[in-house]
Amino acid sequence: MFRSVVAGAVAAVLAMASASLAAQVPAEPLSALAPENLAKSRPKAPFDLTGNWFVDTSPGPDAWRFGPPYPKLTAKAQKEFDTGMKLLKEGKVYKDDIGQCWPAGLPLIMTRYWPTAMIQLPTAVYMVSEFMNSFRTIFLDGRQHTDPDVVVRTFNGESIGRWEGDTLVVETRHFRGDHHWMDQGGASIPAGEQLRIVERFRLLPGGKQLEIAYTMTDPEHWEGEWKSTKRFNRVNDTDIKEVVCLPDLNDHLKSTRSKTQVQ
Amino acid sequence: MKKLLIASALVLSVVAPAVAHHSPAAFEAQKTVTLTGVIKEFRWQNPHTWIELYVPNEKGEEVLWAVELTSPTYLVRAGWKSNTLKPGDKVTVVGRPLKSGEPGSAIFTSVTLADGRTLVERAARQGGAK
Repeated sequence: MFRSVVAGAVAAVLAMASASLAAQVPAEPLSALAPENLAKSRPKAPFDLTGNWFVDTSPGPDAWRFGPPYPKLTAKAQKEFDTGMKLLKEGKVYKDDIGQCWPAGLPLIMTRYWPTAMIQLPTAVYMVSEFMNSFRTIFLDGRQHTDPDVVVRTFNGESIGRWEGDTLVVETRHFRGDHHWMDQGGASIPAGEQLRIVERFRLLPGGKQLEIAYTMTDPEHWEGEWKSTKRFNRVNDTDIKEVVCLPDLNDHLKSTRSKTQVQ
Repeated sequence: MKKLLIASALVLSVVAPAVAHHSPAAFEAQKTVTLTGVIKEFRWQNPHTWIELYVPNEKGEEVLWAVELTSPTYLVRAGWKSNTLKPGDKVTVVGRPLKSGEPGSAIFTSVTLADGRTLVERAARQGGAK
């Protein structure tokens, strides 16, 4: 009798512990590609981004850059910026991590001189930049950002979008904070783990141009909001291809191994 | 002995700043280097192609130069094919050298083949809705 009481008590405690643990594990959201998610009733999207998009370079050769103007930098970022500018004047390039095959990451991946293929579904927009075939998803299915203690940080971050009138508003967070930069070969401003980017997508009349207004914050590296607006042209005469920074690429490009590169 | 000619000239072709995977800031913006030599290898690949060629220096020593070009997507639109350059071909390549003065590395401007044809690259697409 006593044994069975003890056994029952132990089983009850174990069951409670198990239930408690289960309660701590977040439920997996329904995949954006799950048929039951795709089939859910939603308002019709104001526009469809499906297509190939290429940054509009008509403003000038620096149209891919997000500054100047730059926000007021923190002392930490200013030190990197000043070092990069000093070395640039000496004909050197400071911490060109993209050149060493690290991912460009958001925001720079959007304005490389390579098209980005976008496929829009009711639950998500899938993007593949031809540059290094960098992959990005904007979830539109109402999910929340992942718990920062669980998320795997990435160079393109985690993007969640919602429709506001005729605008798609996308907030991206959970970035990798190393080897991640806001420019390449110029303003050496780091992108940190506190980086948050809000993009406001608008398809311009006629559907041939896409405008994205960027508002970026990263209190570790600059004060307040860093704003920049980019336009992208729809390109219908090309498809993206496999583009990978292979291990032997830089072995044949002496510039990436020269003393002009300062890490 | 073939001479290595370094000339200052206005570079007419616009090199897209971000078409390469690395920053082009290390290369001269306006100075060019003219390299007459023999092709070692021409690699047709993404994110960009490259030419390796042996070029004799002032001492007659063969120096291996790597010349970086844009992606095949744009080269095809300028008339290039994967076999445009073959090992052993004698060519004259014009490019922009490193600002540091280190030999052996340049970013492409043009190539003149043994048959006299000169090829350039098509710049990455420029603005305007298409």
